[in-house]
Amino acid sequence: MKLFLDIIISGLIQGAIYGLIAVGLNLQYGVARVLNVAHGEFVMVGAFATYIMYTVFGINPLLSVAFFSPVSLIAGFLIYKNLFQFIRTSSETAEMFEGNSMLASFGLLYVIQNLALIWWGTSTKAYSYLSFSVGFLGVAFEANRVAALFVGVAVMISFYLFLRYSILGKAIRAAAESPVSAQLSGIDVHRVLGICFGLGVMLACVAGGLVSMMKEITANMGFPYLVTALIVLVLGGLGNIVGSFLGGLIIGLVTAAVMYWQPELSLVASYLIFTIVLLIRPQGIFVRQTNGR
Amino acid sequence: MEGKHSPVNKLFFICFAWLVAATLPFYSPAYVLLSITSILMYVTLTVSWTIFCGPTGYISLATATFFGIGIYCAALLGSSLPAPAVVLCGGLAGLAFGVLVGLICLRLSGFYFAVFTFGLSELVRHSVLWWEHNVSGTVGRWVTGTSITQAFYSLLVIASLSILAAYLIRRSIYGMALKAIGESEEAAEHAGINVVVYRIAFFAISSFFMGMAGAAMAAKFTYIDPNSAFNPLISFTPVLMSLFGGIERDYGPILGAFILTFISEVLLSRFPYFYTLIYGIIFVVVILFMPRGLAGLLGSGHQHKFMDH
Amino acid sequence: MKKDVSKGFVNVVFIVLGMLTFLTMTVGPAAAKDKIRIGCAIALSGMNAVPARVSQVTEYKLWAEQTNAKGGVYVKKYGKKLAVELVFYDDNSNIETCTKMVEKLIVQEKVDLMLPPWGTAFNFAVAPLVSKYGYIMIGSTVSSAKWKELSVKAPYLFIILNQPQKQGKAVTELLQDVGVKSVAIVYVADLFGLEHSGVVAPLIGQTSIEIAMLKSYPLGADDLSPLIKRIMAKKVDAVLAYSYPDSTFLLTKQMIALNYSPNLLFFGVGQHYPDYRESFGSKTVEGIMGLGAWNPKVPASGARDFFNAYVKRWGKEPPRWGEASSFAACQIMEQAILKAGTLDQKKLRQVIASETFPTVIGQVKFVEGTNPNYPGDVGQWQSGEYEIVAPKIKRTAEPIYPKPKWPSRK
Repeated sequence: MKLFLDIIISGLIQGAIYGLIAVGLNLQYGVARVLNVAHGEFVMVGAFATYIMYTVFGINPLLSVAFFSPVSLIAGFLIYKNLFQFIRTSSETAEMFEGNSMLASFGLLYVIQNLALIWWGTSTKAYSYLSFSVGFLGVAFEANRVAALFVGVAVMISFYLFLRYSILGKAIRAAAESPVSAQLSGIDVHRVLGICFGLGVMLACVAGGLVSMMKEITANMGFPYLVTALIVLVLGGLGNIVGSFLGGLIIGLVTAAVMYWQPELSLVASYLIFTIVLLIRPQGIFVRQTNGR
Repeated sequence: MEGKHSPVNKLFFICFAWLVAATLPFYSPAYVLLSITSILMYVTLTVSWTIFCGPTGYISLATATFFGIGIYCAALLGSSLPAPAVVLCGGLAGLAFGVLVGLICLRLSGFYFAVFTFGLSELVRHSVLWWEHNVSGTVGRWVTGTSITQAFYSLLVIASLSILAAYLIRRSIYGMALKAIGESEEAAEHAGINVVVYRIAFFAISSFFMGMAGAAMAAKFTYIDPNSAFNPLISFTPVLMSLFGGIERDYGPILGAFILTFISEVLLSRFPYFYTLIYGIIFVVVILFMPRGLAGLLGSGHQHKFMDH
Repeated sequence: MKKDVSKGFVNVVFIVLGMLTFLTMTVGPAAAKDKIRIGCAIALSGMNAVPARVSQVTEYKLWAEQTNAKGGVYVKKYGKKLAVELVFYDDNSNIETCTKMVEKLIVQEKVDLMLPPWGTAFNFAVAPLVSKYGYIMIGSTVSSAKWKELSVKAPYLFIILNQPQKQGKAVTELLQDVGVKSVAIVYVADLFGLEHSGVVAPLIGQTSIEIAMLKSYPLGADDLSPLIKRIMAKKVDAVLAYSYPDSTFLLTKQMIALNYSPNLLFFGVGQHYPDYRESFGSKTVEGIMGLGAWNPKVPASGARDFFNAYVKRWGKEPPRWGEASSFAACQIMEQAILKAGTLDQKKLRQVIASETFPTVIGQVKFVEGTNPNYPGDVGQWQSGEYEIVAPKIKRTAEPIYPKPKWPSRK
């Protein structure tokens, strides 16, 4: 029973992080149609920023995550406006835009990686925050991970409510369904898509800030998160925000469970689950087979 | 039509280029051969990737798997078989695995296809790692090395074959069928195209060339482990190169592979500390100013649709 | 329409021809020999960029700057001192690119000497190649018993780092020496973890020490707490983790948070970084052990000078293992040139294979291509310094056992 609880909670913690990153990617690709392969690099940027705020200025990581959210949102918005919007207008078809925006985001990935290496150099750093364990029904968990879980879930819930009930959220959903009809109903599609892209960057940075509490920070930490996010995104279904988060939790749980049973296979297991799920449900777990995307 | 760039002229150009290439080892310095060999490898990967993924628009990210299988074939058989046989075996292994992957991916399209193939290649990489570790009790293997000239010739042959195959397929009825599948599988089915057979067959053909390229290139690796043989970045490279070159033309992917490999080589050696920075900026600039890839710029302002010749 | 297609095609032909001409242009070495050009194709970008830069690039550059500051290396054949010039190529953490770049350095740049790439797999891939061209190469980030197979294929490769076989023995002796009763061994599922655990587990098995657990975990795991909790349940004295830097940091972090402090805690790579000590604090890392060790106190001429020069040049301390041997490899090449009086690789190889060289890691005399006399096989953080605690005769301090508990939190 204790073991069960342990696996569930550790899985949820890791899964919440994966979920946040995947939801961000889902907004960027599912809505704005930008397959942003530089997504993982924004996780790294978020981790760096949080680390510096904590070690140099002594600012609580959770606070700096809150502080960096609007900053990264604006940064992402500007990237979309100045780069991807240009590509969108110069591309003749939707496929062309997808291809070109992916290429451009590859460029972004390379540029960010190199800048990080120049600026951050060869350091491998970590810091200790909430570095003690909390007991829950007789099982010990690391406080910083538990905090990350709470923040992750809170961000997700507020995000969900925002999409569901706010006017902007409704505009985003309309743009996700069909950019053309959204435009017809008077929505500034480019602005909405820009905000979606910005929100994606924001979620990656938030996740990065949370990750920085739990593990070491280096200049090349980002790419593996992109890979996981891609897998989670497909598992949960394209365009399905809740699905992405749940997909993240599933991958987290599987990894944690196999880590107990046979640690070496934990990564293989997540890929295996992914493969099997897609074989059975080619549109992801949480998408009804109606829309043919 | 009877202008100075008639098809006959074009054919002449191709023959001339091929002759220049084929005689290269006799007069060119060793390092040119070295660069060309590596360019030919990327040309093969990109062109063979385009055979299936170009007309259908399905982005396969499993190139690393077929390439890696070719490499492992060479590592296992390299010492017991002559080089051409090893290359052929690599190709056949790629073909066989291509059929398997093609079968598994049958129900997928679009983005799901892309990520699934990527996940699959990661699964293969981790499985090979696990196998080597637990069953073979090792991680790395030696590959019998060859001379630059030998690697060059085998890749020249493979690259030429893949270009020829891509050219013929594109102009045949099969190319049309693939394009129809890319537009709508259902419509293609109604038009009497056997979608299942086409998808598997042409995916496998492109895997065949990738496997051969891996087996031929293995000799340049000399020592391999699953992480280097199944390097996930190899999966992205053909996508980048063909989009960069422009997927609408026959020579687009070749040009993309040629130029990007060349640019990286110059950057890696002349600006080693800023390689990815400059490379990334080039990408962004090219996309901003040449949304149709290099080939789109070189051709003319015409609205060429894919296949429109 | 057809005309346009052909026009594009002709353009392509011109571009390709232009590129070929560019390729054939050489930078060509100057006619009069006025400098020694040393080539190195190494991961300056990609996944290995961080360890490669910290363990080799910084050391090579420091050596080159120091050597040039004193006017260069005297080469008898030319009757004068020659400045050294490092030619770095990036291999983008890709083996295929690496072999290509190495070959390019040799045939196009026509460098005089070669320095190795980063990591065991890359060194192994490159070694047969440089040997084919008859270039010596002294690998400082190679750790594998496989070099034995290699010595036939690559007679020009020398390995200066200490090797798993010896280190496993030192670890086992240390465990016996301090009186460990039971041990848990975990390792990263990679060539490195596999080899080291494969050596150390049988050795410990021959002693009275009980191996309570032997498990591997995958590269790139994000959460190792399940593994830690399983180790905790075994109640062992010692934990040996053959880890890479990412998991070294992660395991430390999670062990602190879960308040698990075994009597002996040992890691593979990463614990020897000054970054590690700074990230967790000297008090916290007190007593943590790890594979391989070097520190400025080792009995070697210039060890302290190297340490100080490194701090001055790079603004931080050098890591405490193979980094010093990267510098030592340069010193050996320098001394070999002095002794041989030429840049001829065959003669250099003879000198390096037979002579003894004083370096910052002590006297180096290669035996069958490897260096049997490394200054330390196991290190331990003690009051902010990474002291050598094994083998016994090379200790710079007595081992602390049991490791102090984690300091109480603020």
